[in-house]
Amino acid sequence: MSFLGYVRRDGSVGTRNHVLVIPQGIIAKAVCDFVAGTKGLLTTDHGSGRTAHDREQIARVLIGLGRNPNVAAVIVHAASPGAGYPELKPERIADEIASSGKRVEMLDPTKDGGTYGAIMKGIKLARELVYEASKQRRVEVGDEHLCIGVKCGYSDTTSGIAGNPAVGYLYDKIVAAGGTALFGETTEVIGAEQALARRAATPEIAQAILDAVAATEERAKASGQDIRTINPVPSNIKGGISSLEEKSLGAIHKAGTALIQGVLQYAEHPPCKGLFFVNNWMGHLSIFAGYAAAGANMVLFQLGGGGVAGRTLLEGSPSIVAPFLWATANPRTYAAAQDSVDFYSGTVIEGKETPEEAGERFYRIVTDIASGTLSRSETLYYTEPVDMYLEEPRF
Amino acid sequence: MPKRALIMHPYDNVATAVEEIQAGEDVAVPTGATTISLQALEAIPFGFKIAIQAIPSGQIIRKYGETIGTANTEIRKGALVHIHNLEGTRARGDLAKRGAA
Repeated sequence: MSFLGYVRRDGSVGTRNHVLVIPQGIIAKAVCDFVAGTKGLLTTDHGSGRTAHDREQIARVLIGLGRNPNVAAVIVHAASPGAGYPELKPERIADEIASSGKRVEMLDPTKDGGTYGAIMKGIKLARELVYEASKQRRVEVGDEHLCIGVKCGYSDTTSGIAGNPAVGYLYDKIVAAGGTALFGETTEVIGAEQALARRAATPEIAQAILDAVAATEERAKASGQDIRTINPVPSNIKGGISSLEEKSLGAIHKAGTALIQGVLQYAEHPPCKGLFFVNNWMGHLSIFAGYAAAGANMVLFQLGGGGVAGRTLLEGSPSIVAPFLWATANPRTYAAAQDSVDFYSGTVIEGKETPEEAGERFYRIVTDIASGTLSRSETLYYTEPVDMYLEEPRF
Repeated sequence: MPKRALIMHPYDNVATAVEEIQAGEDVAVPTGATTISLQALEAIPFGFKIAIQAIPSGQIIRKYGETIGTANTEIRKGALVHIHNLEGTRARGDLAKRGAA
């Protein structure tokens, strides 16, 4: 199987062809508002007052988004509150993106005539960059260039029965084709970690999975709170899920059946192709930005929705540069939000399709969207702000 | 026509309703070659779980062939299984705190 993509100088392949303007701030916002074909970030996580660990995590997000194959060229500006820290120096961010071979331009208000001057220069540069990017043509490439990240959310029992298994089928096909597939949400592995660890490619990877889950479970216990009042979340319980273990055992179905090649940190680029577990947090406003920064050229939200009332327009979560797909297996969710959903697998529950037939249909939808068909959420300008997954206190 | 509920693994002692089931209705649970037939003792909403065998208090509740919690009371065959009678045991900070006190 194949799709039509943009081949980059480092050999990676994009499913989109954006010009990225980072970090967040008024300069980036003004340039993106003015120039078609650009993407920017909306976040309050700029690094100020953060520990070195968390500043590095923010840097990984910025650099990773810039290096993402869906990005043709990048503008980095120097007017971020975090820019004085060594990890977040604009020159460092620009250099590490440029080493992928793509064009990176800098804006610095202290040299470019203040904020107004930097905005004017940025608009001019961005217009040139999107124009140049538009000359690149999609070409047919193998599916080993797919890199996909998934989260399941508003989970209900349809997620574990049909929704996540359909994602699992898709993941197995992508991995078998030589592609890359990312899953995570460590809290939702508690209770299912032995089943996952058995699928690790090496004993060291199995131990790394168990260690990541144990550390999260210890933090949950140290809170002194009943996890059942935190996770499963109220919408999960309304959808029929009774315990964290039940949620976890349903959730891991989205990882398919392939061997797990490693455990990655948030926004960490995988060292090779294959299936990876990402030690991240389930929040939908952070997880997709992390996948995109890890190199995902597409992301999926597998939605239950059984416990959610009146949620008919599904808006985009911040995957920034990666097309974002909505999938669900819940017939009521689908009926309520058909024009927002890219893939429906409730057919398996209804007995209208086998899991294999649904999975094959899913794979065709994914390769179509990889080739340029818009995902439903891409038809909206609206996207939620990024809440980067940061793990340490602020001072 | 009996209402449908699904098990995920032969070891499971609960099945998930894939239709709205009313109290007293017959329920069919396909298990590959055969079908388990039972009667719902109470309403089982779409997506919720029904006990397909009696589960004594303190016994493990299994779905996907794995442990999803324990019964905190005796659960009769055909009863709704949810947070009122199933207790998750993992990551329980409240239990850890009680143990430490």
